[in-house]
Parts: sequence; C-alpha cells; structure tokens
Amino acid sequence: MSETNKKWYSLNLNRSKKSESCGCGSNSGGCNSDKPKDGFDQIMDISMSRRTAFTKITAGLLIGAGAVSSSCSIIGSDESKEKSAMEWEEYFKGNYKLMTDEEKDKSINRLVRSYELNHGKKINISSKNAEENVLFGYAFNISKCQGYMDCVNACVEENNQDRTSEMQYIRIHEMKDGKGFNFEEADDNYYHEVPADGHFYMGTQCFHCDNPPCVEVCPVQATWKEKDGIVVIDYDWCIGCRYCMAACPYDGRRFNWKTPEVPEEEVNKNQHYLGNRLRKKGVMEKCTFCIQRSREGKNPACVEACPTGSRTFGNLLDPNSTIRWILDNKKVFRLKEDLGTEPKFWYYMD
Amino acid sequence: MTAKIKVITQFIVVCLFTISCKHSDEHKYHTVIDKIEANTVEYKGEISSDIYNETIKKVEVIDSDFKFLIPERKSQIVSYKCSECHSQPLEKLKEHKVGEKAAHWNIKLNHAGPETMNCTTCHNKNDFDHLQSLTNSSIDFNFSYKLCSQCHQKEFKDWKGGAHGKQLGGWAPPRLSNTCVNCHNPHNPKFEKRWPVRFNTTVEKERE
Ligand code: SF4
Ligand code: SF4
Repeated sequence: MSETNKKWYSLNLNRSKKSESCGCGSNSGGCNSDKPKDGFDQIMDISMSRRTAFTKITAGLLIGAGAVSSSCSIIGSDESKEKSAMEWEEYFKGNYKLMTDEEKDKSINRLVRSYELNHGKKINISSKNAEENVLFGYAFNISKCQGYMDCVNACVEENNQDRTSEMQYIRIHEMKDGKGFNFEEADDNYYHEVPADGHFYMGTQCFHCDNPPCVEVCPVQATWKEKDGIVVIDYDWCIGCRYCMAACPYDGRRFNWKTPEVPEEEVNKNQHYLGNRLRKKGVMEKCTFCIQRSREGKNPACVEACPTGSRTFGNLLDPNSTIRWILDNKKVFRLKEDLGTEPKFWYYMD
Repeated sequence: MTAKIKVITQFIVVCLFTISCKHSDEHKYHTVIDKIEANTVEYKGEISSDIYNETIKKVEVIDSDFKFLIPERKSQIVSYKCSECHSQPLEKLKEHKVGEKAAHWNIKLNHAGPETMNCTTCHNKNDFDHLQSLTNSSIDFNFSYKLCSQCHQKEFKDWKGGAHGKQLGGWAPPRLSNTCVNCHNPHNPKFEKRWPVRFNTTVEKERE
C-alpha cells in the first residue's frame, strides 16, 4: 500500500523521524518521509488485498458478530441494517487530517444520518476548511473582566458540553490585587457577588499555541494545528491516552470521563466535525475557538456573550483588525512565554 | 594542512546547510509574531460579518485613521424627537402643575459629581434634539461618542482601535462596534455588582 492513500499515522517508536533539526519545533503537517515500515505496517501494508482482508477479519472480531449478523439478517429492519452498515464504515474511516474532501463529506453524511435515525432530528455538520490569509488570535482585557461567567454559560451551550460534569473549557480565576498572576492562590470556585473588592478576574482556556506541545506528544496524531491556527482534535481518532493533557502547560484540555449528556432540546445542531459535534466517552476535548462559528466569520460564543467587552477575537494577519490594533498598541503579554509555546492568546490591561 | 582543514570545514558547513535548512513553510518562523508580520495582508476574503448584522441600522465613524460602523441611535430612542414634547423653553416646562408627573422623573444622574456634570453638560436646553459639547457646539445623538470622548480620551482611543468596547456579529470585516451608550447608561455609566450567572467549578476532594 502506498504512503499516499494511507488513512492513519503509525507509531514510530525508537526511530527518529525528524529530519528537520532546526529547533523551531514545528509539528503540523504530515510525515512525508519514506520511512521504513514499522511493526503494524509490516503486516498491514503488504498488499492492498491482504490489508483489506485483514481489516475485515479484525473488524469482524472487534465489533463482533452482532453488527455482521444484523446487517445480513433478513429479519432486521431496513433501518437497523442501514445503521450497522454505517457503523461499519464509520469504524474504518481514516484520520480526518488524511481524508479527502469527498471522504469528509461521506463521513459527515453518515454522522448526520445516524443522528437522524437515533433522534429523529436533522443536524448540520460542517467540514469547512481553513480560509486563506486568516490566522486566528484572541485578546483578553484583565482590567475589564468582572467575573460574571456569562462566557462559560455560552461556551457550554454552544459546544454541547456535558451538563452534569463540570467540564468547562473556560476557567475564570479570581485573583487578589497586588499578588500578580498567582494561580496557586487564585480562587477558581468563587460564588458570591462580583466583582469582589480587591480582586481581579482572569480567564484561561486553550490558547491555541502556534507551537503546541500537546500536538507533539499525541501518539496517533489525533490532534493538530490547522492552517488558520486552531488546534483541533479528531474525536474519532483520539484513543483517550491523555498525553496531550499532561503536555499542555496551560490546563487547556478536558477529558470525557463519561458519555457527555446534553438534553435533546438543548443540542446545538449547528456543528463542525472538528468542533462541537457530540463527543463520546473517553476522548479529549477543548476550546476550538468555536470553529463552527469562527470559520463562518462569527465571533466565538464567549466573545459574543461577554457583557464587558473583555474578549476580542480576530484575524491576526489583517492589519485592520481590532486584535492587531491591540497587539500593536497595548502592552500585551502571554502566560509562560519562556516556554516557546507561542500561544495566540494575549492578555492586556487598560 | 590548513588548506585541507579549510576544505573539510567548508564541506561540513555545506552539509549542515543542506541538511538542517530543509525547511517547509511551517518551519520558517521562530515566533508567531514573525509569522504574523511576514504574512500580513488585508483580509479580502469571501467571509463577511454583514449577514450577522443585517437587522441593525448603522452609521459610520470616520476619525483620523479609523473607519468603522456603529449602531444608529436615534431610531432606538423611544420618544425621539425630543422637540415633540419639548416645544416650550425649559423654564416653562419646569413650572408643572401639582399632581402632574415630571418627565424623566426616573433619571438620576450618577456620573462624575454635581460640580462636574448636570443635565446641560450634555443636553442642549435650547435645542432638545441635539446634544452639546463643552464648548456649546451641537452633537448629533447618533454620534454621542463625541461627547463622551471630551473627558474619556483614553477610552476613546482604545475604543477606536478595538481594545475597549465590543465588536458585534463577527471578526470578519466590515467592523461594527458598539458605541459608548450601547453598554454604558450615560446617566449611570458604571457596571453594577451582581451574581455570576452560574457556579464556577467546585473542587471535590476524592481521596485523602
Ligand atoms: S493551550 Fe494547551 S491545549 Fe491549547 S494549544 Fe497550547 S498546549 Fe495545546
Ligand atoms: S488523548 Fe487523544 S488527542 Fe490527546 S494525546 Fe491521547 S490520543 Fe492524542
């Protein structure tokens, strides 16, 4: 099987693949070297026909006789046959990063159809790619944030986050004046009238690092940086190892310990494959700058919801954008700048 | 001997170059600021915020290098034009009869102090349909930011740039930003203390 139509990235244990030894530590883009096959590929890549045979056999073993029997059975209804056929194909789809646009569409059609079969409602899933000449960035005004938490509510609703656990992509930290940015002593669990005297508020979330360490460590390349700078996760490719969570220096990632629960009437049906589509148990998720909104020209839900205007989002490459004015004219800083992660999330004060 | 060393060093240098500088586009920049500077280009793409702001009537702000939209104001004021009631001079209106409710009775000015501001600092008592500046020039209600900026110069500068205030709809051009009075009540401009809209995360102790 040739490298060009491979649908997964292989583990590359004990073998250095980095030919670019410049130290800027880039991590996006695929591996395009002619590297020797590793253990898995040695078996799977012998020839197309054998690989197909193997996947089918393994599949039978893995998803069990149930799917096979219902798809072949004469008593099974058309719907359940359709369902299992779709599940079968979904199971063997590739890494999103390697899919052609046609394959993306096919997978999305399956996802939309299976939601329709299961819930009787239509959803809209987009696979819109990054726009040319766009690099997204974010600025946060520490002087303005009052700790109202409207952003968190908006984020939970927009991104179909689990309603029972407290997996919130955004955290608002209440900090004491005069103590600097002391995350150790910050109160992340406040519930009282805000702003509290003698305190200031600071929001954190995934900063969409331009040199993201979380991407570097993923063993299956289920997370990567898109061309417009958004760091995304392929929920169907993530194996839930949580390496990325450990690698993130900013507490930007959230893990699904249980199947997320969203009441049917509250499901945001405007979704993106890499964004707020419904996740399953045991995968990583995080802020995606509301990719389903931002790729359509809208502001992320947190920016729209903030009543104080602390949050600014925009195109870093456009010299006329407000975010560029902030970078050029305010005294901006980022967290842990010395790590070289290059977050695209700046803080500033009035 | 030295010539030999020279040749070897040259060879090594050439090798280093050919090996280590096989950069793809992605690897060119050492910081994201470098990347931004190198790729800066005015956004002329297809995406626009227009569809999100369709229903809002707008007016254009043009001030030095800045050009952007703000929501139109006059059509949003319930009883504009003011002159429809204020047909008589203020002194006359003040002599209202006993039992008659004074207009604007609910407005309490809580903006700077009484020695700095009263109604006529901003409202023109001879021309109720317009605001007035400190030097008595007339200011249109749609452009009330001109009034605020007389004192709040710093906020005004940040607002024009985009560091103060809020852009509506989307990040994509054309830019539509809230004007001062869309967020601040000019008679009581400070944001109030209130309860957060939800609990913040709570920490649970799961083991000792
Ligand atoms: S903030 Fe964390 S999760 Fe987000 S891109 Fe950076 S390292 Fe990755
Ligand atoms: S949890 Fe998922 S995205 Fe994170 S490193 Fe593991 S496989 Fe990759």
